[in-house]
Amino acid sequence: MENSAQLAGAESASNVQSVAELTQALRDGGYLADRGLATTLYVGLTLDRPILIEGEVGVGKTEVAKTLASILGRRLIRLQCYEGIDTNQALYEWDYARQMLYIRALSQRELDADDSVEKLFGPRFLLERPLLEAVRAGRQAVLLIDEIDRADDEFEAFLLEVLSDFQITVPEVGTIRAEAPPLVILTSNRTRELHDALKRRCLYHWVDYPDPEREVAIVLTRAPGVSEALTRKVVAAVNRLRSLDLAKPPGVAETIDWVRTLEVLGETDLDARTVSDTLGAVIKERDDLDLARRHLDRIGSGG
Amino acid sequence: MGEAPIVAVLVDFAGHLRRAGIAVGSGEVLTYCQAMATLDPTDLVDLYWAGRSIVVTRREQIPVYDRVFRAFFLNEADDRATPVRTLVRALATTASVLQIPAVDPGPANPEEHQARMGLMASTVDILRDKSFAACTPEELAALRRIMATMRLAPPRRRTRRLRPAARGRTPDPRRTVREMMRRHGELHALRWRARRHRPRRLVLILDVSGSMADYSRALLQFAHSATRATDRVEAFCFGTRLTRVTPALRRRNVDDAMARAAKAVVDWEGGTRIGDCLTAFVRDWGRRGLGRGAIVVICSDGLDRGDPDVLATAVERLSRLCHRIVWVNPHAQPAGRSGRGAGPGYRATTLGMMVVEPYVDLLVAGQDLRGLEELAVRLAELT
Ligand SMILES: Nc1ncnc2c1ncn2[C@@H]1O[C@H](COP(=O)(O)OP(=O)(O)OP(=O)(O)O)[C@@H](O)[C@H]1O
Ligand SMILES: [Mg+2]
Repeated sequence: MENSAQLAGAESASNVQSVAELTQALRDGGYLADRGLATTLYVGLTLDRPILIEGEVGVGKTEVAKTLASILGRRLIRLQCYEGIDTNQALYEWDYARQMLYIRALSQRELDADDSVEKLFGPRFLLERPLLEAVRAGRQAVLLIDEIDRADDEFEAFLLEVLSDFQITVPEVGTIRAEAPPLVILTSNRTRELHDALKRRCLYHWVDYPDPEREVAIVLTRAPGVSEALTRKVVAAVNRLRSLDLAKPPGVAETIDWVRTLEVLGETDLDARTVSDTLGAVIKERDDLDLARRHLDRIGSGG
Repeated sequence: MGEAPIVAVLVDFAGHLRRAGIAVGSGEVLTYCQAMATLDPTDLVDLYWAGRSIVVTRREQIPVYDRVFRAFFLNEADDRATPVRTLVRALATTASVLQIPAVDPGPANPEEHQARMGLMASTVDILRDKSFAACTPEELAALRRIMATMRLAPPRRRTRRLRPAARGRTPDPRRTVREMMRRHGELHALRWRARRHRPRRLVLILDVSGSMADYSRALLQFAHSATRATDRVEAFCFGTRLTRVTPALRRRNVDDAMARAAKAVVDWEGGTRIGDCLTAFVRDWGRRGLGRGAIVVICSDGLDRGDPDVLATAVERLSRLCHRIVWVNPHAQPAGRSGRGAGPGYRATTLGMMVVEPYVDLLVAGQDLRGLEELAVRLAELT
């Protein structure tokens, strides 16, 4: 990518003045946002509100946070949620390996000293995890809390606290507070309903699959040089696949993969045979493959 | 255009949203006003998206929001106060730029719908060997004694809180290091933390209308013995309406609790409204914490008088709220193929069951004692 153009973009983007400017800056960063998403992001930025983005798999929820960080010239701090994630993995941990080495190195007298415990549980041995890191970085960071729906509800309640006042207390060290909050983006695939309280704190945006025109544009942005005619056919085919009752309908990433695969194979058209040969690039689940194969003629033909 | 009119408009709009069932507090109205101050308040598209991002908290609310927005900002025939209306009309002149995105795909095609309805009519007469229902009072009493000795054991969940333990997966640096200092730098043994185990809450939602009464009574007996064992059991009964019977179960005997519940929730002509009752559960109890992470056991034959869409939406939302849904259906028919994740081969025989099946984690027949034993065993196995 052209570095100078990106840099210029970053400079102007760090104080975007309108939805249109933000949209353009995102576009320069390789992300095509529609009016709704851009407006939500803009309001979140200007009012310092976290943004909750929900949507189907692979519609660009994670990517938008990454692009935002890069165009705003901020550091991206990512907290990937998963089942069983707990506060240690999200906030901070003590570097106990180094603590033990340290104790061993101390002499008897030093060990008995009153302040040895304080030193041991001081900033030197504190390992920052994403939330603490983000609170420290404040305005310098974009905090991406990815796939929050995978964490359990207790973790969610804890997150709500952090998002409410952006301060974290480490008993041994004290309270760390962000002077200005980071931009927070939460994503969810909606495998479960989130707490109303958390949602009320956030701006909410539901991301639909992009309409065909936009999806073609996204592919051409992400995979420059591919044939536009072929891309149109692929986008049409992907949309037909999405209308089947698949367990995992293909996302935008799959559309891109499919076009790339066809390009590599030197295919210029998308008939039943080429669909059949390359279906694995778009559909990963076995049952879905079976279902799609039963509709081969319907998926390809449209070009 | 001054500031006051737009504030008045947004307050008014919020009122309309509230009446349509979307909770909009004064905090949201304030945020909306602040957002519009940084956007263009005469641009309907900005008004639409800013409002949507602030007011809507779930995808399902989007069509409602769209409807209210259209009626409020694009329909001139209304009775709002004049100054407001003038502004609204001014805004409406920019209506041509507003393209409210397409809402969710419409309902399934009419033929399919009819086919399903037809199926329902023909399956009202499904097999009726009501094993519990056929029991004499003495036999029922005997069954109850047996049941009282069975335990409903909901699976345990791991909580985030860690407690000190002799061994575990997570090292406990604080304890290890403190111990080490006490021993003057000698590492004796690493200390560990383990996750606490806590039984998941068990929520029983029992259909007590008509033919379901006997089966539900048997399950309620279950609930009764479980309620005395742990306080993490909740019981609800439904027919036309839903009622919570947990407190009654603690105080009274099962028959009494059930008779009262039945009187409260069953309109004999009203039929069973599973969808509405489950919606009420999610709205009034589930969200407030009762359903979160819980194992929800629903006992019903799926014969629903209400709108199948309402039922589908309710179960879908319930499935996202709770940990697992177990459906006990005494009329479940064993089938060759098994339903989607729903267990060892039962076939949906009512429209209601067809609608809910994709969201059900386990489907068991509960028509006799063996069915309930199976339930007890499989509940404990659920993870
Ligand atoms: N609007 C867009 N502009 C540019 N690229 C996009 C856009 N939407 C999707 N993409 C592409 O699709 C890919 C997948 O997007 P991403 O990983 O952000 O999806 P997601 O919604 O986070 O999916 P998941 O639910 O699987 O986490 C991105 O790497 C990017 O290449
Ligand atoms: Mg993602």
